[in-house]
Amino acid sequence: MTTPAIEFRNVTKVYRKRTRGVEVAALTSATFSVFPGEVCAFLGPNGAGKTTSISMLMGFFFADSGEISVMGYPPGDVRAKSETGFLPENFAFYKYLNARRLLRFHYALSGRNKENVNLAISELLSKVKLSDFEKLKIGKYSRGMVQRLGVAQALLHDPKLLVLDEPTSGLDPAGRKDVRDVISALRAAGKTVFLSSQLLSEVEQVCDRVIIISKGRVVQSGRMEVLLGAADRVEILATAGSEGLEAKVAEWGGVTTRHGHGVTIVVPVDRKRELAELLWQSGQDVVHILPLRSSLEDLYMRTVGTEGGQA
Amino acid sequence: MKIKTLAFSTLESFLHNRLLLLVLVLALCLLTLMLYPLLQAKARTTGENQQAIASMVLEMISQVMSFSSGLGALLAAWGAADAFNTELKSGTVLAVMARPVKRWEFLLGKYLGVMLFMGCYVLVMLGLSYLMAWLAGVRVQASPLVLLLYPMVRYAIYAAIAMFFATLTNTIATMGAVFVIAMGVEFVAPDASAWMPKLAWLKSALYYVLPSTNLLTEGRFLSLRQASLKQVSWQEHAISLGYGLDFAFILLLLAMWSFHYRTLRKD
Repeated sequence: MTTPAIEFRNVTKVYRKRTRGVEVAALTSATFSVFPGEVCAFLGPNGAGKTTSISMLMGFFFADSGEISVMGYPPGDVRAKSETGFLPENFAFYKYLNARRLLRFHYALSGRNKENVNLAISELLSKVKLSDFEKLKIGKYSRGMVQRLGVAQALLHDPKLLVLDEPTSGLDPAGRKDVRDVISALRAAGKTVFLSSQLLSEVEQVCDRVIIISKGRVVQSGRMEVLLGAADRVEILATAGSEGLEAKVAEWGGVTTRHGHGVTIVVPVDRKRELAELLWQSGQDVVHILPLRSSLEDLYMRTVGTEGGQA
Repeated sequence: MKIKTLAFSTLESFLHNRLLLLVLVLALCLLTLMLYPLLQAKARTTGENQQAIASMVLEMISQVMSFSSGLGALLAAWGAADAFNTELKSGTVLAVMARPVKRWEFLLGKYLGVMLFMGCYVLVMLGLSYLMAWLAGVRVQASPLVLLLYPMVRYAIYAAIAMFFATLTNTIATMGAVFVIAMGVEFVAPDASAWMPKLAWLKSALYYVLPSTNLLTEGRFLSLRQASLKQVSWQEHAISLGYGLDFAFILLLLAMWSFHYRTLRKD
């Protein structure tokens, strides 16, 4: 059996305020796994426990109970860290350094052989489109440039696992596409990516697995195609609608939309045959019947609702 | 290699710390101002008062050293606390600790960075003292090695104390704790005024617990002149320095232990 790249088993973390004795459960019996080669989205409303989980995964926080393993090692273990690239949310740098010197500093800390370091850094800077700014002090970078540099430092030592906390935060649409392309390239190279993001549509495009967390509990976890693949509605396009169609469809919990080239009706999948027969009996042509797959946003909203306002 | 990288990065961060540089420049200005009375004394030297003037000049140099020594202790403590807490405050620690760096390596790197900075400071201050002595036409009898090693060991103690407190609290509270300890050292020194008999045990206990930085003051060697006092043997120096290093080492181990269990987040 394949060892998961990331594994949480019944992990609980409670924050305690020393002075007031207040306890807040940040994570409660969280259990999930991410397997090698997967790109996994870690979603949840603000305050759901995402950053706490990522901090524990990186060995910054300690779990109160349960077990965590990263690449088969305990979190914080240098063997795990040597195979992990990390981009924290709101990445911070030594502002007096330039991009090349910062990457050299991180490269030295990664304990890798120094051969070809300059070439590797040049390639990375080119990949994140910072080649023209490599001599500029980081303190003068825009938010987007800092974020791109953060992505570069996470990729610096060619890690097997990437943990990216809001990788597209602060990036413009072109920058977001670049990061998406980088993640797709990482997936193609067989790397494991664990990312938290607020942008569900982007996550849906690049991820294989989804974990949704709410109020410190894992409320949904699984392969993207399994979670989104079960179509629960169908869309039927007909040449025209008979009288009383809208009322019938509404009774079934569906929606009817009339437009120039006919009528589009969306109904629950178990009403598909009844609706098609109703249309045929009234002399209409059925142009197409499409199963409707849920979007990640639908899944998210169904799972978490409007709690926290956003993902 | 990683420790060396962290140490040099810490040293570089000090060289970009405007507040620290401002303090150093002010201190340097102050010391330069002290050249004025020194040169004045030199100008008044005659055959009759030569001995007295030389003694006075040495005393002045000793005071300069005391000033730079006090400032050095402050810089060592502040540097250590700031080097650690700035990483947490800015969040840079998260990217650094995501690398295959052990927590003790991070702390040791930071500590050695502080000591590198203090090494530069001691060299500059020592050079300045020798310059003053040369201008005043007197000779510093104490070995330069002594004048280098003693302050370094003392700063190592203060940096380690500050590093320990920095793993527990913020820079201001850390500096407060260091200040209280530095004051405490003065109050429990053997030559300090006597405590109430009931509290004599506390004074003894604190004397053993707190660092005896008075033992590590290079100033006491500066005012020595040949044949005025018994020369201190290298064995005695080694014992004094060994004591200081031992104290610093224990504090650093405590800091590493404390940091090992600390959660890391952007403050």
